[in-house]
Parts: sequence; structure tokens; C-alpha cells
Amino acid sequence: MVRKKLGKKEIILGITCTLFALLILSFYVWHQTESVSLGYDSAELEQRVIQLEKEVEKLETIKSNLLALDRVEKIARERLKLTEPKDGQIIYQDIDKEH
Amino acid sequence: MYFLAFFFIFWMSVLVLRLVQLQVIDHVKLKTEAIHQSQNIKKIEPKRGSIYDRNMTILARSVPRDSVYFHPLEGESHSEQWTRAKKIGQILQLSSSKLRTIKTQIDKDTNFIWLARKIEEQKAYQVKNMNLNGIFLREENKRYYPHGNCAAHVIGRVDIDEIGVSGIEYKYNTLLQGVKGEGLIMRDAKRRRYRFETLKPPVNGKDLILTLDETIQYIAEKELKNAVVQSQAEWGTVIITEPSSGEILAMANYPTYDLNHLPDPPTKLDRNKAVHQTYDPGSTFKIVTLSAALENKSVGYEEKFDCTPGYVVYAGNTFWDHERLGVLTFPEVFIHSSNVGAIFIGQRVGEENLFQAIEHFGFGQRTGVDLPAEERGLLNSLEKWTKISVASHSIGYEISVTPIQMLQALNVIANRGIIVPPRTVKQIHAEDMQDLSPLPYKRAISEETAAAVRNILLDVVSSGTGITAQIPGYSVYGKTGTAQKYDRIAKRYLSSAHIASFVGVVENERPLFSMIVVIDDPKGHYYGSQVTAPVFRETAKKILRYLCIPPSKRSLDTLIASKAGRQISE
Repeated sequence: MVRKKLGKKEIILGITCTLFALLILSFYVWHQTESVSLGYDSAELEQRVIQLEKEVEKLETIKSNLLALDRVEKIARERLKLTEPKDGQIIYQDIDKEH
Repeated sequence: MYFLAFFFIFWMSVLVLRLVQLQVIDHVKLKTEAIHQSQNIKKIEPKRGSIYDRNMTILARSVPRDSVYFHPLEGESHSEQWTRAKKIGQILQLSSSKLRTIKTQIDKDTNFIWLARKIEEQKAYQVKNMNLNGIFLREENKRYYPHGNCAAHVIGRVDIDEIGVSGIEYKYNTLLQGVKGEGLIMRDAKRRRYRFETLKPPVNGKDLILTLDETIQYIAEKELKNAVVQSQAEWGTVIITEPSSGEILAMANYPTYDLNHLPDPPTKLDRNKAVHQTYDPGSTFKIVTLSAALENKSVGYEEKFDCTPGYVVYAGNTFWDHERLGVLTFPEVFIHSSNVGAIFIGQRVGEENLFQAIEHFGFGQRTGVDLPAEERGLLNSLEKWTKISVASHSIGYEISVTPIQMLQALNVIANRGIIVPPRTVKQIHAEDMQDLSPLPYKRAISEETAAAVRNILLDVVSSGTGITAQIPGYSVYGKTGTAQKYDRIAKRYLSSAHIASFVGVVENERPLFSMIVVIDDPKGHYYGSQVTAPVFRETAKKILRYLCIPPSKRSLDTLIASKAGRQISE
């Protein structure tokens, strides 16, 4: 039995096919790796968004706490030495009539 | 060359086959194994809804806080565990009783032990930095009330697991708490989280917008505190409503407490006396007698009643006036708050009519306010009325009411005879904004009767017992009340202990707001005109300033104001 000698063209075709298959596989592996990597980034960003949302809410709460009326009154009276207006010190102006 | 090509193809084929085996043939099996190793299901806690006032000021909100728990290490003895727990206990400043509980749990081989829940940020930071084995932090939510004791009794509080136990927190717990969800956490070989998949999204609790106005609430609380402290009273309560809608603008109680620092052990301090406490209303209840007389046309408007002796003996019992008032016309009986005159009028109205009027005003029934533990008060059925019941009821005795019921009764006058139930929640704030429709309205008395009662009550403030509630430049009407306290043990009224009250409305072409002030057992001055009417006046004046409502007529005040203005500009 005489084995047919593979021609140059056939060898090149074989190698090209193999390289092509390798390329597809490499692409697949790269795609998988990239997906996982993006998953990490996405999870991290999602966490960050949640954290920032919580931070915003926390800051809103702190702001509300700082604007509590008893605190504001204390500062107004003690630090700024303000007093409550007496009845005669309040002037109501009819803006509609003036314009 | 052939050998190299053959080897290369063979090697590639093996690689491809292995890949096919892993990715296709064993795919399901391997994926299941991987899932077991790298995924776990986590309960997602919903965020409890926030509570806002009518101007969207935050009154209650859940903020993240860390909790510390303890997990025994593999092969660790009880004594080693205890040493470790004690070490962390020092940082967390755990009480000796808490440490004892932890010791008991360790001895029982408990796998998961809470060391401290919802700790301060600083402490959590310290614990994190220590990096102790078997000590973990878990993020939870803690209810925080940025305004401390503002509207404490209305908002109420939650327990450690954020379940409402009083006030709005309790009443609307189902809406506020939301529904738990489930999520899938995916981790890599190093246990790093690389993906999170929500299997069942949590439903966050809905936000509530109350009818309260933080500033009006603050004014009411401050004025009430001053009055209770000054008069060395036991307690006091103030409720302010917008009569036309029944919306409660403020509900203050004193003594009160800080929602962020609950008393330990818990006391009865968190009872909302505005809806829970019943008392004999005394003369404020004469509004009902007056309405009943007018509605049934039992008495002529110009009719006169002889109150000269200052007392009347009725069915063997003596009822006294606060002073001898002489002969009074029908309106004067109420303007000067004569008990003797009111008893004569009550007698003319008759048992049945008076009872019916009391029922029509909503006494003996809950108002339906959306707050827990509302009392219905005490109104004996007509069959249980004794010979003196007509007289007693005519002047606000032998009946128990809550402050909210009394204010609702006055709102009937402001609303031209219609009962408008009070409420504290204005809106449920969600994706679809939901307005809460008020409860159905009922007519208690005719429009004409309501108008006539209003006119008499205007005189009560302009020239009668309520003169101390006057606000120059504004139209105010209302009624004072001073009732002796009932001793349930001795079963008699005490001449030395009183409940002072004032219930009134401020108008400016239309009713702006109504208010009730009740102060229990004030020392020294105890009349409603001396103790509660001034609280009404001062509170109302500040509210009018805050609402920028100018005086409706050019009064002495505005003249002074314009003079002061000129001086300033000069």
C-alpha cells in the first residue's frame, strides 16, 4: 500500500483550518474571560451605585438633623443673639396693592 | 514535517475533544457543581419607607448600620471562644448582662451569636480594623429620627427588627416595611463576588407623607412644654387641625421623649394622650348643650335665666358657678360659662335630645383617626342615665372624652355642622402617588345652628371667659373648660385637682385652624382661662406669623406695627 504524499497545498489548508479553529477557540476563551472581567466591574459599579445612593440618603438625613428647629433656634438665640420679634415689630405689606 | 503536522493535529484534536467534553457533554453536571461551590442565595431586606411631614421634611428614615456577630472557629474550645467574645465585648462596651447571655449561648454551642446590633459607625470601623477571626459585620438598617422628639407620639417607634410598635410606625407597619426579596451571589475561587443576580426583587416599603407641619408641631410642643413646666402640671396635650379637611397639623404631648434614645426600661411615656387619655371635659362640652338647645329650639335666644344664687340644687346635688353671675340671657350663659344656666338649658333640652346631640357630635365613638390605641371615651347609654345625668352632661361631667373627640366636636361648628374625621397621613408616596381619601363626612347639626353657635363662641372670646385667647386683628372663637378630676378609687370628684382646657378656632374669612389645649392638674392657677387659653393664644400667634397671615382688620397692633416700621426706616 502506497500512501499518497500530501501536497503542499493540503498541508497549508490543514494548518489554516487548525489555526482558524484555534482562533475561534481563542476568541471564545477571550470572550469568556472578558465577560467575567466585565462581571467584576459591573458588580463593583452596582455596589458603588448602591453605596452612593445610601450616602445621599445619609447626607439628606444629616441635613435634616442639622436643620432641626430646636437646634436652629438654639444657635439663633445663643450664638447670633437673636430674639423673637414682638407683635409691633412685624409689618405685613400687601405686595399686590403696591404693584 | 509529517510527524510535526500529525502531532500538532493530534494535540489540537485532544484539546478540542476535552473542551467539548467540558463545555458540552459534562456541561450540566459541572455547572451544577460550580453553582454549589460559587453561588449562594441571599435574602434581600427591603428598605423601610420613610416618613415625611407635609412639606417633605424627613421625620423618620432607615439608615445603614453595622451589626456584629460571632461565629465559633473550627476546633475552638468554649473558653477560647469566651476569651475572644470578651475581647470584642470591651470594644463594644457590652453590659455585663449581655456578656452573660453571650456566655450562655457559647456554652450551648450556638453557631451564630449577635454581639451588638446597629452599632455606631466609629465602633464598626474599630471592629473592622481589628480583623478578628470569627467576628463578622453585617449591614442592617436602623431607624433614625432626625428631629429627635418632634411629634414622637404621632410617629411612634420600631423595635430592633424595624417592626413598628407605636404611632404611625405601628399603624402603617405593613405599608412601611415592604416585602423581602431574594438574590443570587456568584463568587470566584477566591470568594470574590463577581456577579449578583436578583431572583425576586424586594419591594421597598412605601413612604408616608403626614399631614403634620414640622414648624407648627415645633411651636405647639414648645408652648405646651412651657405651660406644663410653669404650672407644674402632670401632663398636657395640644392638637391643631385644619377643620375643613380634618388634617392634623400638630399633635403635641408633654412629657415626651426622644425617639432616638428610648427610655430604658420602657415606660408609659409613649402613650399618645391626645387620642388615648379620657377626661371629663367640663365647660368645653357646653358647646354640645348649646347646639342641642338651638337645634331643638328648646330655648329662645333672648330668654333669661336667673343664676343669681351662684348654685342650683338638682336631684339632691348642688352644682356651683365659678362666681355669682346674676340674670343671664341664653348666649350669656355660655359667654360667662355658667353651670347653673347650662343646667337650666339642659333640662329644657331634655334627656333624649341631649343624648342624641352628644351622639351626633361623635362622643362615645372613636373618631377614626389613623393612630393606634384610640379610646372611645365613656358615654353611658340613656338607660343608665340617673336623675342628675342631664345636669351633669350639660356641664361636661359624667362623660369622658379624648382631646381629639373634643376638637372634632368644635370642628363641627367650623365646618357648618359637618363632622370631618381627623387624620394624620396625607399621602402614600410611591411610584403611583396615592392620595388617601378622607373618611365619609356626616352632618351633626344644621348649618344655621352651627352659625349661631359660632357667633356665641365669638363672644366667649371677645368678652367672656375666653378673653385671654384673643388675638388682636384675628377672629377667634372657642370655649374654656375647667373640670374637677375624678378619683376612680374614691369614686368622687376632687376639689383640689383640675383639668384645664381650651378649644378654639382662628378664622380669616374662613376657618384657618382649630386647636385644643388640655393641661392636667396645674398648680396655682387652674382655670382654663388662666392656664390653657394663653397657650392657645401664644401658639396661634406664632402659627399665624409662620403662615404669613396678616391681621384681617386694622387693629391697634397693625398701627403699632406701622409706627415701628416708620421708626425703623427713619
